[in-house]
Amino acid sequence: MKRSYLPVALLLAVLMLNIIVTQYMVHQYFYQNYVSTIVAGIMNLILFPLAFLIYKKGVNVND
Amino acid sequence: MTDKNNKIPFDEDNYTHNINRNNERKLDRRGFMKTLVGAAGVFAVSSLPWGAVAAKELVGLGDKKYPKQKIVDVKAIPVGDAVDFHFPGEHDSAILIRLSENKYVAYQNACTHLRCPVFWQKEEGDLLCPCHHGKFDVETGAPTAGPPRRPLPEIYLKVENDTVYAVGVKRYEA
Repeated sequence: MKRSYLPVALLLAVLMLNIIVTQYMVHQYFYQNYVSTIVAGIMNLILFPLAFLIYKKGVNVND
Repeated sequence: MTDKNNKIPFDEDNYTHNINRNNERKLDRRGFMKTLVGAAGVFAVSSLPWGAVAAKELVGLGDKKYPKQKIVDVKAIPVGDAVDFHFPGEHDSAILIRLSENKYVAYQNACTHLRCPVFWQKEEGDLLCPCHHGKFDVETGAPTAGPPRRPLPEIYLKVENDTVYAVGVKRYEA
C-alpha cells in the first residue's frame, strides 16, 4: 500500500511549534510576563493531543 | 561431525535458532511518528512547572510579607545623613539615607562582594565598602566601582506621621 508522509510532515510541524512555544514560554517567564507564560504552557499542552490525533489518523488510514 | 541440526524437524537442543535480528533497529515511518508524538508529550509535561511557577507569581505567593518596622523619626535625621537599622531580621543590618526633604532610600548594607558593611560617604555622595573599596550608587544601589557586581538589596520605605517605616525588601534579581 502506498504510504502517506503527510502525517509525518504534520508531526514535524507540531514539533517545531513545540520548540518555538517552549522557548517563548521560558523567555516570557524571565521577562516577568506571567500571563504569556501560562498561555504558552497551555499551547504546549494542547499540541500533545493534537500530535496524538495526527498519529492515530495517519496510522489507521494508510497502513 | 554430525549434521544433527539439518534434520527436519531438527532436535531443538539450542534456543537461538528462531531469533531473527534482521532490521531490529530499523526506524520505520510508524516508529518515527511514535517518537514525534512522544517528544510532543515530553514538551507538554516539561511546560507544566513553568506554568505552575508563573501562576504562583501571578497569585502573589512569591512576595514575602514583612512586618512594618519603625526606623527613625523624621526630625532625628537631617537631610544628607544616614542611620543604621536592622530589617527584616535583627541580623540583617541596613542603612537609611535621607537624600532630600522628602526622598529617603534604604538598602541592606552588606556589600554584595564579601558582605562587609557599606558606609555612607556624605561628602562624596556614594556608598563605600571600605574592605575592597567597592562603591554603590546611592539612588539605585547599583555597583559603580570596585569588586561588587550586584546591586544592594533595596528596602521599601513609607513615611507616615513624621516617622520612616521599613515595609519590605525588593526581590533579588540576578
